[in-house]
Amino acid sequence: MSHVSPVVQRLRITFGKAGPLKYTSSLDVAKIWERLLRRAELPLLYTQGFNTRPRIQLAMPLPLGISSECEILDISLRERIDFVERDLTEQLLAVSPQGLTIEAIDEVDVRASALHSRVESAEYRIRFADGISRDALRQKIEGIMSRETIIVERKRKRKRSVMDVRPLIVALHIDEDEDLIAHLSVGDRGNMRPDHLIELLGLDDRHHSIHRFKLHLLPA
Amino acid sequence: MPSIESSLDRFLLQVEKPGRYVGGEYNSVVKDWREIDIKVALAFPDVYDLGMSNLGIMNLYNQVNLQPDMLAERVFSPWLDMEAVMRRADIPLYSLETKHAIRDFDLLGISLPYEQLYTNALNLLDLAGMPVLSRERDERHPLVIAGGHACYNPEPMADFIDAFVIGEGEEIIVEIAQLIGRMRGQSRDAQLREIARIQGMYVPRFYDVEYHDDGTIRSVLPNTPDLPARVLKRIVVTLPKPFTKFIVPNIDTVHNRAPIEIMRGCTRGCRFCHAGMVTRPVRERPVAEIMAAIDEIVRHTGFEEISLLSLSSSDYAWVEQLAEEVNREYKDAGLSLSLPSLRIESASADLLEKIGGTRRSGFTFAPEAATEKMRDLINKYVPDDQVIQTAREVYSRGWRTIKFYFMIGHPEETLEDVQAIVDLCLRTLNEGTKILGKKATLNVGVSTFIPKPHTPFQWVPQDTRASVNAKLALLKRQLRRGGMHLRWNNFDDSEFEGWLSRGDRRLGRVIRRAWELGCKFDAWQDQHRHDLWLRAFEECHLDPDFYNDRERGLDEVFPWDHIDAALRKKFLLDDYLMSIRRETRVDCRDKCFACGILPKFAKERSNTEDLAWECPPVTPISQRRASQQDTIPLSAIG
Repeated sequence: MSHVSPVVQRLRITFGKAGPLKYTSSLDVAKIWERLLRRAELPLLYTQGFNTRPRIQLAMPLPLGISSECEILDISLRERIDFVERDLTEQLLAVSPQGLTIEAIDEVDVRASALHSRVESAEYRIRFADGISRDALRQKIEGIMSRETIIVERKRKRKRSVMDVRPLIVALHIDEDEDLIAHLSVGDRGNMRPDHLIELLGLDDRHHSIHRFKLHLLPA
Repeated sequence: MPSIESSLDRFLLQVEKPGRYVGGEYNSVVKDWREIDIKVALAFPDVYDLGMSNLGIMNLYNQVNLQPDMLAERVFSPWLDMEAVMRRADIPLYSLETKHAIRDFDLLGISLPYEQLYTNALNLLDLAGMPVLSRERDERHPLVIAGGHACYNPEPMADFIDAFVIGEGEEIIVEIAQLIGRMRGQSRDAQLREIARIQGMYVPRFYDVEYHDDGTIRSVLPNTPDLPARVLKRIVVTLPKPFTKFIVPNIDTVHNRAPIEIMRGCTRGCRFCHAGMVTRPVRERPVAEIMAAIDEIVRHTGFEEISLLSLSSSDYAWVEQLAEEVNREYKDAGLSLSLPSLRIESASADLLEKIGGTRRSGFTFAPEAATEKMRDLINKYVPDDQVIQTAREVYSRGWRTIKFYFMIGHPEETLEDVQAIVDLCLRTLNEGTKILGKKATLNVGVSTFIPKPHTPFQWVPQDTRASVNAKLALLKRQLRRGGMHLRWNNFDDSEFEGWLSRGDRRLGRVIRRAWELGCKFDAWQDQHRHDLWLRAFEECHLDPDFYNDRERGLDEVFPWDHIDAALRKKFLLDDYLMSIRRETRVDCRDKCFACGILPKFAKERSNTEDLAWECPPVTPISQRRASQQDTIPLSAIG
């Protein structure tokens, strides 16, 4: 039996989640995409077996409640399509739920490595709805960034462990809109959730919204 | 005051599954609130995850939204955590589509397919900022209507609902919305007077109930001129084209698939079956219509699973042709189809194999009873050998799991009859083990029979706690073994359903009191507070046993007798007496037993194609004289 990959074309869709969709979990977003792609009548490649599903892959789970403009989805097709010619962006938007945006569509090598293994860090914009003084925020940031280690206790599957999360905070700054911009590690090598950062800053009692605007990938 | 939407954003991350409360799903219909005249809110009084799987609500949503001057928006019960947030933050009950307060709608339609939703319905009214009592609301509030199978006995909810839809709602919902638009500004009483004139609408405030000293009913009579003594249910003569633009949820839901109703009604005449009695006549869809609907659903929704629904799929006249066509079109399309409610016969294995999709759902059959006596009594006859042979057929084709449904607590059932259920299950699993070894499994679901209004068993007492628990103990003792999985209902839940099923108008006080005491989500076993319900009965000086444990007199007036499901009471009574004599009735497609449907809907029948209904065609007398072959004369029916 030969092992020729049935994947003829692989497309990488960069999409956003806003509005009601930010309350949908990553697992459910995958389902939304399966159905959306079926509605768009793309020549999807399906997995083998009884519970056959389209071969699609999401890059990095986004915690519930966070909006984004940089989610990545790879889809495998069994027939080549000219996605520019047929204006795939418009075609997908026409069958999308409210709050889904399409930021970019690119073709990638069919043999490119699994997406999630390449995600290194992400940048978030954190806005405090009721405002917070620039000085107070700056002080809090400096309090975090000046520490050499930040040891926290983590519980995972009933196992307690301690770890240093300081290296997972790549950078923090305040932008011209008084928003907190946080650059944090994500992925298998160490994951820092933005809500965890807000806790460390002692600001979790303030109403805030979080938006992920950039994923940093390791080179393929 | 902050808008509902901005308040939500503040609080939604504090609750479980916030996706339940935000809308925005593909195919949800968002119309311009300012441009549309008539606003209808459609409520399913349980959580989003359950309500979104309800085909009835979706049908109504579609029918209303098809009207250019109307909009329909959805609302579901907030789960406990969300309710706490809403009450704390003063967020009124709102619609998912445009986040408008339910109070700002013209019409609120509440779906009541089963009795366990009653307290949730009250809670919805309260969360909407409205008095729960119909009498305390007026034309400044939305008109509150309810429909669904439980409403065939509307009396327990009569204090709370302004008007009930009796029967099928697809057409009537639009008529009511139009009327409300036309009569805006007039008094609620005047509006309801007009609504009561629409065939199929029941307005409880225009009907007075008189009781005997023993608590049974003396009479239920209209107190307003020109209203019918009995409210005849509404039917659609032919099923409207199947709905295909299903809302695709953004979060996981209970069923999360698209249903197509292939047939409405059932000709089998099982005596315990409420649905089989109240959904007559049987109306079937042409295969071509179903195939077109499957195609549209795939294109409009992208759903990977479609369920072909009916009360008895094997009885759908063109079921084999349907299976063939589905097999030809969708065998390799990554689409899973299911065909539940099949008869226990080997042909069912063939059908399911063709339709596919059974890998997920498995084979489900409902023998209901396991002795000749009980099968005759309930008028559902399936011989043991046929059960075994079907099981053999299924297991030998490589399916590992079969699911059986049984019902205990039928009249005259003894422990020997329940022992026979055990024996049949053991024999069945044994067949499976012979073929598949230890891989064969049998799941057994046992429910407790609850006598329902408008059925031949409406006279019988419900089985008692001691008796049901003894039967369950026997099943649990003997069916606990490898390869066998037993599921059952708690008696508390069955007892509770029994009270409300055959309840009268006095139960309104009990329902209200139970809700005040904190009862809600009664359909959830871990939420149902039986103790609080018993307390509510006590505080209202009503005896719960009056509703469940009493054998009703053959001439007793029932609380639902003024609701006309188009079944003659004489037909139901004859059938009940036959059951006592262990006499059965065949499928009514083979012989019409004059249940009452035909004379009640003679005009509708004669205007419908012969093949559209399973009831015999009604032909004018002149033509009947001319050809006397197959048709059954009306005189034999009336």
